[in-house]
Amino acid sequence: MLLETDVRAESQTVAEPVAGWRVWTLYAKRRGAEVRLRPIGGRPRPWPPFEPARATCSRHGRHPVPGFDCTCGLHATRSLDVLRRARNPAVFGTVALWGRVVEHEHGYRAAFAYPQRLMLVCHLCFWQWGPERSSADAVAVLRGGRLVPLCDGHVELSDRYGYPTRQLLPVRRIEGALLSTYAVDPLCL
Amino acid sequence: MNIGRPERVFEVEPVSLPVPEVLPEPEPRLVPEPDQESEPAKPGTEDEPAEPGM
Repeated sequence: MLLETDVRAESQTVAEPVAGWRVWTLYAKRRGAEVRLRPIGGRPRPWPPFEPARATCSRHGRHPVPGFDCTCGLHATRSLDVLRRARNPAVFGTVALWGRVVEHEHGYRAAFAYPQRLMLVCHLCFWQWGPERSSADAVAVLRGGRLVPLCDGHVELSDRYGYPTRQLLPVRRIEGALLSTYAVDPLCL
Repeated sequence: MNIGRPERVFEVEPVSLPVPEVLPEPEPRLVPEPDQESEPAKPGTEDEPAEPGM
């Protein structure tokens, strides 16, 4: 087993940020205003615009974040297949990672991160087909301000089965608000 | 999200983040200074001495 001290001895500094794939949930305060990205798992603190998201660790306390043997840190993947198992993503995109980075078999955990390119995805299509065929046509607003992008087909299914959406918003409006909030470019696949 | 086993640790230099667009502040509205000449002159002031004989 590689100890933290051994790993530190191997550490090197890289000038270019590491890029990875990532998914988020999406929230808004009212009627799609003030949209914020939030992690899917763990503590759902929103990612701040114009500031790096910072990793913290509440499980093991005293170790550099992210710890080599811990699960803390801001996650991103190299493989899209890994992301397809994420639970109900609303936003898919690339992320820049920097600071202390732990490289894994299929991705990374980092101390700091900021989104690079983003797109809204229908989470049902994302799970079924992957990001290439998961573009959204509308955004459902749920209780608590959670935004759920859906394709036309899944909007229709939601209506048919009484999925509790409070209202539907145009996808272009929410995507535009998201991109301008974080000052990033759209992800085109 | 299962990203497999950890393999190595390294440091990456900080990246530059987007900077919020700063909108220029609207120019302050010019408030005209009180025009003393337009005020009705009071008799007996320095500007317009009182008529003789008053």
